[in-house]
Amino acid sequence: MSDAQQHGGGAEGDFDLTQFYQIFFEEAAENLDLMEQMLLSLHLETADDEELNGIFRCAHSVKGGAATFGFTDVAGLTHQMESLLDRLRRHEIQPNLAMVDVLLQSADVSRSLLARHQAGGIGEPPSTEALVQRISELALGEGQSVAPIVAPSAAFESTVQPQLQPVAAEGERTLEIMVGPLKDMAHAEAIRELFRDIPGLGTIKALACDQADMRKFSVVSSTSTDELLDLFEFHVSRSQVAIQDVTKNLTVVQPALAVRADAVEAFRATQALPGTMAQDDPPPGTPLAPSPGFGFFDGAPGAPTNPSAYVPPAVEKVATQVKPVEKSNAPLAQVEAATIRVSISKVDQLINLVGELVITQAMLAQNSRALESGQFQKLMAGLADLDRNTRDLQESVMSIRMIPMSVVFSRFPRMLRDLAFKLGKKVDFVTMGESTELDKGLVEKITDPLTHLVRNSCDHGVEMPEERIRAGKPETGTITLSAAHQGGSIVIEVRDDGRGMSREKILKKARERGLDVSDQMPDAEVWQLIFAPGFSTAEVVTDVSGRGVGMDVVKRNITALNGTVEIDSAEGYGMRVSVRLPLTLAIMDGMSVGVGKEVYMLPLSSVIESFQVKADAINTVGHGAQLVKVRDEYMPVVELERVFQIPRTDRDRPSDIMVVIEAEGSRVALLVDDLLGQQQVVVKNLESNYRKIPNVSGATILGDGKVALILDTGALVRRSRH
Amino acid sequence: MTAMGQTQDQVFANEREYLTFRLDREEFGIDILKVQEIRGYEPPTRIANAPNFIKGVFNLRGTIVPIVDLRLKFDCPKSDYDSSTVVIVLNLSRRIVGIVVDSVSDVLTLPADNFKVAPDIDTIIDRDAVVGLGSLRDRMLILLDIEKLMAGQSMALASDATV
Repeated sequence: MSDAQQHGGGAEGDFDLTQFYQIFFEEAAENLDLMEQMLLSLHLETADDEELNGIFRCAHSVKGGAATFGFTDVAGLTHQMESLLDRLRRHEIQPNLAMVDVLLQSADVSRSLLARHQAGGIGEPPSTEALVQRISELALGEGQSVAPIVAPSAAFESTVQPQLQPVAAEGERTLEIMVGPLKDMAHAEAIRELFRDIPGLGTIKALACDQADMRKFSVVSSTSTDELLDLFEFHVSRSQVAIQDVTKNLTVVQPALAVRADAVEAFRATQALPGTMAQDDPPPGTPLAPSPGFGFFDGAPGAPTNPSAYVPPAVEKVATQVKPVEKSNAPLAQVEAATIRVSISKVDQLINLVGELVITQAMLAQNSRALESGQFQKLMAGLADLDRNTRDLQESVMSIRMIPMSVVFSRFPRMLRDLAFKLGKKVDFVTMGESTELDKGLVEKITDPLTHLVRNSCDHGVEMPEERIRAGKPETGTITLSAAHQGGSIVIEVRDDGRGMSREKILKKARERGLDVSDQMPDAEVWQLIFAPGFSTAEVVTDVSGRGVGMDVVKRNITALNGTVEIDSAEGYGMRVSVRLPLTLAIMDGMSVGVGKEVYMLPLSSVIESFQVKADAINTVGHGAQLVKVRDEYMPVVELERVFQIPRTDRDRPSDIMVVIEAEGSRVALLVDDLLGQQQVVVKNLESNYRKIPNVSGATILGDGKVALILDTGALVRRSRH
Repeated sequence: MTAMGQTQDQVFANEREYLTFRLDREEFGIDILKVQEIRGYEPPTRIANAPNFIKGVFNLRGTIVPIVDLRLKFDCPKSDYDSSTVVIVLNLSRRIVGIVVDSVSDVLTLPADNFKVAPDIDTIIDRDAVVGLGSLRDRMLILLDIEKLMAGQSMALASDATV
């Protein structure tokens, strides 16, 4: 027994698969996500072949990949999902809510199993046994009405089976499996392990075998021969396995009685006889009593269960008989992948290179101006083309980093569905502006704060159905998530029509916590109180939210992204949280200003206005602090020349342009020489090679290849306050 | 045993290739593996309130790189900038930095025999940064650990150093 080969886990196991792991994990995640979306949008009564096939394909792809890479736990679970989905798509059973739920849960568990493998298999794997059992219960569907086992396999043979397999795939079968000839008996052992590792696959027993390089097993399983061969193929090639169905001639098998007992036992487990179902049984009085396995659904009062989805078993059986679907004819339309995966560092490199190209192009354009245009007509035309092309190229490359908000939004329907069930609330989720694009870096960072806000809305905002009816509102609450571009930023709103926030309660809580508040505070300031650390107005602490960690973290995360949060609320009518973010961290609309011979960049989003001033319009207060009157307001003046100690050669020409900027809620007027223009700039980090420079937030490269510093408007505003 | 290990390390270190450059009348050698490229001097973007030897930052194909004039750092009498002024772009473990020198001489392999330990001398150069001296016929090379020199507090390149 060689350890190395055992580890490799395959007859041709020398081939190193680890290099493909990453691709598999990404694909599997994509497939699971897709499956989840399709499950959520599945119409239970009118599910069409295309939808069901799509879901089946997702599970199948994950299973295939997991099996190839030897993740037997994932393969086992997805295999069960696939079995259920296979029966669904063949219309042998009708989809119902319980199935959707179990499939969603299985997708979750598969994700965590995959995450564990991705992390190198550290930690306890999540248990799949309960799920596998529930899936097989649901997959057996009509079997529930059949009298308890006398002849387990016979109970299922009555259904139409278009396949050539001797016995229905769903029924328990007793098989005799010959494996060999093998060089290494470890592979045969590995097959036994398969049965141990994959819950629900069945039971295996070694039988006596007179040949040294062969192994003989007795297997009791409901899995089809083909699928067993598929699974065995991880360890031994198909040609080395011979499977013989011995279900019907039990007498041939020597330890017949033992096998028979095993079969009954295994069947008991998968069938979940009434005796063992106690924990899952619906509470007495539930109209859905004949459908065990739905019980866990009924615990959520007010959950949008759909009674029509529970088709009585008898009807199901008829349906299956009239609609035999051949497996081979199932449409196998491959969904063309519309995207490719590229590492973000490659994209950033591309952005840098294009930036260089733009600069080179600008330099060429500048140098060619001196040339005689008549003489170099072709060159000039070429340069003009180059100019246009580089600009288009830059725009396209920049857009690679932008991804639509739907990436974030799409995770909420599932989360809210689960949460609403848990809380017994009825919630409709509406999204708007999903196609609004945002920089990938920002999208990743905004997801958590948004999740928190949406959970808050569901937990604290939307009332229980009875409460809503009492308040004269529709029973079902609505949570709206919207995104829209506004100027240079994106505004994301989380809105609910729930109970809103109570001004009095917040003020009371604030006083309890010793915060300085007064009853005369404007609403906006009161709402801002909930961002204080440890502040929560929830009357009950639930496990969803309300422990007072959250809103302050939300605010901090958003502020770190140069964003702002605003709250608007009306007690009894709902609440709205608006998050305003810059479109990207990498690209910024800038306004370049000149002071002396130097150029500085201002974020255009913070520029309010600019105007020319006369020297006598600037007043001083006390020790030299300067103020300028803008309409009816006196504003502090910040002289860039002084802040940045800019050397000046032309003493006689003082700065006379004021640029009013706003940051952190206050305004200052910057004194500069010239307004040079507006442009999109790529924000570069100064700290990667140098250090933080006071009053500077970053740097950018201008058209002529020179570096310009980007002013930190927040710091300049703070500076003027001291 | 440790002593032997050290001498071996040193021999190994001394057999490295050095890039030599001139500052005023002195000749310096730095590990060639730390050198990314050599380019002409272009006026960088000045940084307010930085020490005088930090000339500013420049654009190295999309990367913002600070530039240190070693002539100013080492108090050389003249530091003109013309078309022949040279910048050595260093790729250090934590950052990319450009240094301005008078001229780059050559790349040479220094045999172990020619490596001399530097005596204790009073110099403007960080004592830690001087690895030793290389003697090549009538030339004397000051061998610098450029990584240490650039990481020094007085270089003010890192954020933790005070302004």
